[in-house]
Amino acid sequence: MLRGFLSLTLFLLIGESISFLLELPVNGGVVGMLLLTLWLMITGHIDADLAAASQKLISALVFLIMPGIVGVFFLSEEFTAQWTTVGIALILGTLLSVLTTFGLMRRCTPIEKNIKDNE
Amino acid sequence: MNEAAERYHDLLFHLLDTPVLAITLSLAAYFAGSAVFRLLRQPAWCPAVLLAASLLAAMLALFSISYEDYSRGASWLTVLLGPATVALGVPLYQQLHHIRAVWRQILITLPLAATFAALYAVMLAKWLGATPEVVASIAPKSVTAPIALGITEQIGGSVSMMMGGLLITGAATVFFVELLAPRLNIKDERIIGFVLGINGHAIGTVRAFEISEIAGAFASLGMSLTGVFTAIWLPFVWTILKL
Repeated sequence: MLRGFLSLTLFLLIGESISFLLELPVNGGVVGMLLLTLWLMITGHIDADLAAASQKLISALVFLIMPGIVGVFFLSEEFTAQWTTVGIALILGTLLSVLTTFGLMRRCTPIEKNIKDNE
Repeated sequence: MNEAAERYHDLLFHLLDTPVLAITLSLAAYFAGSAVFRLLRQPAWCPAVLLAASLLAAMLALFSISYEDYSRGASWLTVLLGPATVALGVPLYQQLHHIRAVWRQILITLPLAATFAALYAVMLAKWLGATPEVVASIAPKSVTAPIALGITEQIGGSVSMMMGGLLITGAATVFFVELLAPRLNIKDERIIGFVLGINGHAIGTVRAFEISEIAGAFASLGMSLTGVFTAIWLPFVWTILKL
């Protein structure tokens, strides 16, 4: 598992370096993730250590984002004043985007057909 | 009494010297939150992580620990989000065969859906008069947290507000999908899963796995693709529009 962790941190460092050197607006983690996917596509298999390490980390994701979420309770006044605006924008925005996505998926009849073909 | 309070302060100061206290409180709140979540019979409108975060906030208030002190210690945990983001490449690779089978349709629907997911909220917030920092904080609202953190850093939003936005969006997605799917007569679990993943990131994906395995697989696919797509185009669009 530690060997897998080494692969992950190596890809993170490579992604971080590429993002920094090319001045990409995308962060190093995302670049590292894409590089890892590309690497797996080239080699065609996932080794057991990498699978174990990534599964452990992904299952801990919810725990890892918790410190960031706690910050919501300690936001400064200037933000708390805007919560109504944010709440309306997010809830209404989500309703609209869920409707749009359903509409797109339904209109794209080939996707339903194609998905059904896969059954 | 005064002396006891002083001793407590010294002790707190000493314990906050290392990240152990922050990590212990986080772990305790995480497991307590999961227990309460099960006790409430796993409500769809209130994700377990929100319960855990509320408990943690209450604990910090109880022990009179400031958020700054806590987050300094907790940065030992958040640094792991980097390798965790990279780790998402593994399930992405494992789902490539799903992408290959329907890649043309995904190519058409996904960029549009991911764009609208961000656009509606950004436009509404601007129209309602939110400050630029707030708008930047809610732009990545449908993106899974580790990727959204990177986006927020890039476009200059507040991390805490972005996290709050993710929570509201996730809960609202689950609610609206369950409300609308039967009314629109959509029964295909793959479509429901995909819509949950595109709009509701990890919270939607967790819900999709409760519906069925296949809904879950399509939700993780929608979540990963929305994350990758938004991470690439949003910072670019943001920089171009700002210039």
